[in-house]
Amino acid sequence: MPVSLEVRGLSKRFGGIVVADAIDLELRAGRIVGLIGPNGAGKTSFFNLVSGVVRPDSGTVALEGRDLTGMKAHRRARLGLGRTWQSLRLFPSLSVLYNLLIGARHYPGERLATLILEHGRVHRAEKAGRQRALEVLQRTGLDGFAHREVGSVPFGQQKLIGVARALMNEPRCLLLDEPMAGVEGQAYRTIQSLVRTLAAEGISVCVVEHNVAFIRDLCDEGVFMFAGRVLARGTVESLIADRRLTELYFGT
Amino acid sequence: MEYLYTIAILMALNVILASSFNFVIGYGGLISIAHPVFYAIGAYGSALLARDGGVPVLLAIPAGALIALAASVLVALPSVRISGDYLLIGSIGVQLGILEAIKNVGWTGGAGGLTNIPALLRPGTDHGVYVALVVALAVLSVLLLHWITRSGYGRAMSAMRDDELAFAALGRNAVAMKVAIFALGCGLAGLAGGLYAHYFRFLAPAQFDILQSAALLTMVVVGGMRSTFGPILGAIVLEVLPQAITFLDLPAGLLGPMQGILFTGLVLVFMFIRPQGLIAAGSVWRGRALEEGHAGQS
Repeated sequence: MPVSLEVRGLSKRFGGIVVADAIDLELRAGRIVGLIGPNGAGKTSFFNLVSGVVRPDSGTVALEGRDLTGMKAHRRARLGLGRTWQSLRLFPSLSVLYNLLIGARHYPGERLATLILEHGRVHRAEKAGRQRALEVLQRTGLDGFAHREVGSVPFGQQKLIGVARALMNEPRCLLLDEPMAGVEGQAYRTIQSLVRTLAAEGISVCVVEHNVAFIRDLCDEGVFMFAGRVLARGTVESLIADRRLTELYFGT
Repeated sequence: MEYLYTIAILMALNVILASSFNFVIGYGGLISIAHPVFYAIGAYGSALLARDGGVPVLLAIPAGALIALAASVLVALPSVRISGDYLLIGSIGVQLGILEAIKNVGWTGGAGGLTNIPALLRPGTDHGVYVALVVALAVLSVLLLHWITRSGYGRAMSAMRDDELAFAALGRNAVAMKVAIFALGCGLAGLAGGLYAHYFRFLAPAQFDILQSAALLTMVVVGGMRSTFGPILGAIVLEVLPQAITFLDLPAGLLGPMQGILFTGLVLVFMFIRPQGLIAAGSVWRGRALEEGHAGQS
């Protein structure tokens, strides 16, 4: 499988706290990697550094051979880097459908000059964006919620909206930050099968998750992080079986 | 009649100022109080182009608006990267600094003011024509802003206000959007400035001071932030009330302070009793109806 995301020597410290210490990591197209480790290991910081939300002190990030280092978050997203947030970060003032439309690729209506001068183009893009949003909603089982306010939707479905919104941009690499925290039942199974399908389509996926069963069932590979470093990498089973890692995880 | 015309023109100019200020702080979420300074830049720019540059007034007014727009981009580029309280502090600096510059350089007329500004209309023309022109431009400005806030652009503005990080991580450029919002809002303030200059034909820096910021903020807050008609109502109420006070036959020494007390008092009362303003905007973004099957699914 070709390399999708390539991270080299990624480092970041906030004063005396090291959140990333020379992290090297590769994600391959079609593979699902689980990022595990105790709270404070630097998993979410890793996502923030890769997605361009936080600037690293050093290190490089490349997506499908294209160097993203130094690029702003919105440019990385346009080049195919998608992410979700542990705290959801949905847009509460927008309906579910409109939350998705903010993620739509090529949306000229969000340039003021284009909006005013090229109305026809904006109108066509709006229709195409809606079409795609409705497809993604259908795919994620959210079609019944399209015109609801996001705050009125059950929590599990809100998590799904976060993933669906990231899919609007047709990402090549998807970073999922605790997609399962607080989710059970139908939404759990939907997210699980959705992530599998996305990987089968050739997207590289990296999941931060504390739900070990989810990681074990889904991930091709596990990466164990501690204190901003990658300590071990291998099958999820082998990581769980490693006494040294479980001790670090539970802090005994 | 002259007096009524003056009131009508000031009202229409306040509608442009309050609506564009609402666009910047309400819809854009950019907490700037420097709006009067761009009103001043438009007014002075247009007046000087026409008076000293020999530019026809009809061209000088849009040129003044463009100068205000360009100046706002210069201010916005470094300052929209900062946000919230820091942007507010930066905008106070811009407001005070540029006004101080206008007061102290020679070619603006200094603190004494700029006089002999050419009028747009030929002498003898009915001033009702100017009223009609200013009202028409106020209506067009309001319609333009209304149209933008109800379009996909307005939807994106709403999302950016909700959560800038999530907005950026979806491939949207929040900085570019903020600069564009600021530029359009300040450009409209500059247009109002030019329209003011060539009717009243006299400009003084004191008209554009920080009290004017307070007045505009009052119009937006009392009228209703993030609604289309709120700032219009606010602009009309805030133009009529001080005029009404002048009829109360109070001593001249009391009039000025009374207006200040009125503005501040109104904001305080509204903050406590009706923070959403006279016309409340909903918390959920409502756009133009383009939905097929909306009714069936909601």
